[in-house]
Amino acid sequence: MTTLLLRVLERVHGHLGWLSVAALLHPAILLRNPKRRARLSVALATGFVVVTALFGGYIYPAYRDRIKQHLFIEVPRVGWMFERKEHLAVGAVVFALVGCIAHLSVPLAADEDVKRTLARLAHRAFVVAFALALIVALLGVTVASCRSF
Amino acid sequence: MRTHLPVWTATVVAALLSMPATYALLRAYEVVFKSEPNPARVVWSPHIGMFWRLGVAGYVAGMVGALAYLAARRDLPRTIQVLCTSVLVVGAMIGVQGLLMP
Repeated sequence: MTTLLLRVLERVHGHLGWLSVAALLHPAILLRNPKRRARLSVALATGFVVVTALFGGYIYPAYRDRIKQHLFIEVPRVGWMFERKEHLAVGAVVFALVGCIAHLSVPLAADEDVKRTLARLAHRAFVVAFALALIVALLGVTVASCRSF
Repeated sequence: MRTHLPVWTATVVAALLSMPATYALLRAYEVVFKSEPNPARVVWSPHIGMFWRLGVAGYVAGMVGALAYLAARRDLPRTIQVLCTSVLVVGAMIGVQGLLMP
């Protein structure tokens, strides 16, 4: 993979990451009301998060080969920030998926109690996903401003 | 078929939630009980820790999913209630591990 391509992918990944944070805030607020349906918002927010993660996963081996060691030699504190970012990103992706599946399943449940609990589950999942994604994005900017491809 | 879909939802949600939980436990175990080389001294390694942990988490998710399916078929409202609480527990697990045990 050329350095130019990696730079482009890294920047797209970073911008998509912040867009994901903004997109996740929408369902995190909207779904406070368990009767509210927001299928498009939920699907788009989850889609952004998944695409961002795919970009991140694609450039991750190159990060390990070209940047990780230098980062830990020069600024270990920032190197550990990246490690934190990758762990929290796993959580953000999974919670966005959980929220999306739970929200889209609400109309399929026959029982009112199950509907209400599924709606609450979806709301909680998006709140957690938003909190994790925000920390991930802040850590990502810090790392990228220190060292990049 | 339609009545079975919430059971499948519970199955998939349980499997997904088990992934960050497993990931956090594996990483916490590595940090607390295993000594790792200083990343500044590692030039290259074929072992990508994150992908390995995700692989193990995916395997565990398969087993948790099967158990969740049985639980959801037996008592769907209670299973969904447990999953709703699990969201906060697993969120705390991955948050604490990610921030304090990188």
